[in-house]
Amino acid sequence: MKKVSLLGVGAVLAATAIALSGCTGGAPASNSGSNQITYLIGQPDTPAQLTALKADMKNFEKESGVTVKLNVLPSDTIRTVLQTQLRSGSGPDVFGYDTGAGFAGVLAKAGLLYDLTAEYSKKNYAIYDFAKKAVTFDNKITGIPDQIEEVGLYYNKDMFAKQGLSAPTSLPDLEASLAKLKASGVIPMAAAEKEGYEAGWYLSMALASRAGADTVKGLIAGTGDWSSQDVVDAIDSWKQLNEKGYLPPSVTSIASQNGDALFLSGKAAMYPSGTWLVQTIDSTAKFNAGFIPFPGPDDKGISTTGLGGGIFMSANSKNPKAALKLMDYLASPEHGKYEISQGLIPTFPVSTDGIKVSPLFQQVLTDTAAYAKGTGQVGQNIDVAETDVFNKAMWDGFQAVFNGTMTPTQMAKSLQKASTTK
Amino acid sequence: MITSTVPKVTRRAQARLGIFMVAPLMILVIVFFLFPLGSSVYYSVVDFDGVTANPPFVGLANYVRMFTDPEVLHALTNNLIWIVIGTIAPLVIGLLLALMLWTVRRGSALYRLAFFFPFVLPGVVIGIVWGWIYDPLSGWLNVALRAVGLGSLVTGWLGNPNTALYAVLATAIWAGFGFAMIIFLSALRNVDTELVDAARLDRTNAAQRLWHVILPQIMPVFLMVTTITLVGGFSVFDIIFIMTNGSIATNVLGTYSYSNAFQLNNISYGTTLALLITALSIPCAVLLNRLQRKLSLQGTSA
Repeated sequence: MKKVSLLGVGAVLAATAIALSGCTGGAPASNSGSNQITYLIGQPDTPAQLTALKADMKNFEKESGVTVKLNVLPSDTIRTVLQTQLRSGSGPDVFGYDTGAGFAGVLAKAGLLYDLTAEYSKKNYAIYDFAKKAVTFDNKITGIPDQIEEVGLYYNKDMFAKQGLSAPTSLPDLEASLAKLKASGVIPMAAAEKEGYEAGWYLSMALASRAGADTVKGLIAGTGDWSSQDVVDAIDSWKQLNEKGYLPPSVTSIASQNGDALFLSGKAAMYPSGTWLVQTIDSTAKFNAGFIPFPGPDDKGISTTGLGGGIFMSANSKNPKAALKLMDYLASPEHGKYEISQGLIPTFPVSTDGIKVSPLFQQVLTDTAAYAKGTGQVGQNIDVAETDVFNKAMWDGFQAVFNGTMTPTQMAKSLQKASTTK
Repeated sequence: MITSTVPKVTRRAQARLGIFMVAPLMILVIVFFLFPLGSSVYYSVVDFDGVTANPPFVGLANYVRMFTDPEVLHALTNNLIWIVIGTIAPLVIGLLLALMLWTVRRGSALYRLAFFFPFVLPGVVIGIVWGWIYDPLSGWLNVALRAVGLGSLVTGWLGNPNTALYAVLATAIWAGFGFAMIIFLSALRNVDTELVDAARLDRTNAAQRLWHVILPQIMPVFLMVTTITLVGGFSVFDIIFIMTNGSIATNVLGTYSYSNAFQLNNISYGTTLALLITALSIPCAVLLNRLQRKLSLQGTSA
């Protein structure tokens, strides 16, 4: 029998190990030395939006000479993979991510985000102050805020006119309108709570109009009490709408997409959602739509606005020079005009001259400009400012309230508990 | 005392050859089992949020939290419901269909294809399509119930906490029984039909023949399918997550672990929950595997 040396066994083992490690891949090829950067974003809502974004990136490439490798992933997946990628040094150069302490704040704390403070003062980016604050952690500005969003109630103007109704000016007025619409045989208000995240919009708009912008600000800042009566009443207002049959049956089984479809197809008269739907409504709906705040108990309520997300740069970018050029572009009026053309609201002032804007979009632009400039009473989107733990309690809680397994008081208490959980 | 007549140098060479032969498998076991297991144990005793480079050591805190977390008990209960119904139903349906197809000659391939087809469909597709079927407004299940006068049963199947888990379970059974059927069918091909005929001559009924003649012959295969289905019940995740986004009503250990690890950035607690799944499923798998081996050695293999 042929003798097998230990050295030979070792060599084979080493070769196998190398082969195995080769199979498992490794860090992607470095961009250093080339003028290419990777840009990771969440999946846009429609293929048309992705096409438009690609065209915007082509425009940037033409201007800057930088090549952008665009990677698109479902937004939920980004959170799963991004942290691992950034920690291993193989992350994208630039990426879209949620702002707020529970999201980008965590990455900033771990030193994974590029400090853009010097760039801001050097380039004098005209980003609104409120938006800048959302990407500032430990006095370091870490990203370019991306898109302002407003949540509220869409309503089918034609359907309202047919029933002799006008936009509701208070909560009792809203309920009276919904009762009349229900009697006419239509779904008074489409809603969707299957995914759970819609709860963030529902609570944000009801709470802002009931308790006022300052109270919401205090709650988000951690100085208020989430188990207060205002919060209980805001949750209860939705519970009442559901129990009175103004929302579709089994609202926790309806996915967001199906909720959109109910309103867009003209089957439902109203729909609680956000400004990200404006372009779809303008291009799809065969009726005139209006957009109003969720009414307060005695008044028409206030608008509820927040930041959609932010674009950040990896602290370990392989090509920081080229990545900074992209950040410059994302804060430029040219990119702002692209956003407006896509029905998105930029986080810096952009002239709409020469851009075709629908009346509905013009209205939300005016609302959000008031918020951005700090004029007028405007509420805040809760979910984009709160932590994962709080949001989970809010999402699960709303589902439980709609299903009747939790009372508004119990949910408010769970929110208070979640707000103090790290 | 018996002493080996093999020269010492040959024994050493044989030992080295043995190591050489076993090494590739050992490398695979180390890389794909022991290393991830060790890594999981490490993450379960630190407080890792997915970002911090040096997470602090917290000892058994995650285990204490797990054993005092009421949601773990709820998720575990859902897992048990899933394991019991999700194991028994595909086995029973698969076995009955296999028995029916066993003697079918014409169109057998068509039936096999039809019943096995759901098993090869991607879980995402199954989840989405069944999500449409269960849709409270336009899903055909509710439409059909209304059409046959059972409108009182109409509900939001995936949103109603009383029906959500069972609705997803029904989908999983639909998707999985074809696998059991195909395996049973191939096992039945090796069943000694003379024994079945002899039992028939002894005037046994169908149930007696199944229990006393057929099942003992296919028992190792039956246990293999049981093991795969049962262990799958512990680690079930994808179909629940796709159909209900891991809502509280349908939380199982897999979705609860994922939710903690990747939605709440609590990797350590999520890992601890994953270890619980491993700790529960491995003994079941080993037990069934030993039983299967024992039966095979007794010569009852199909």
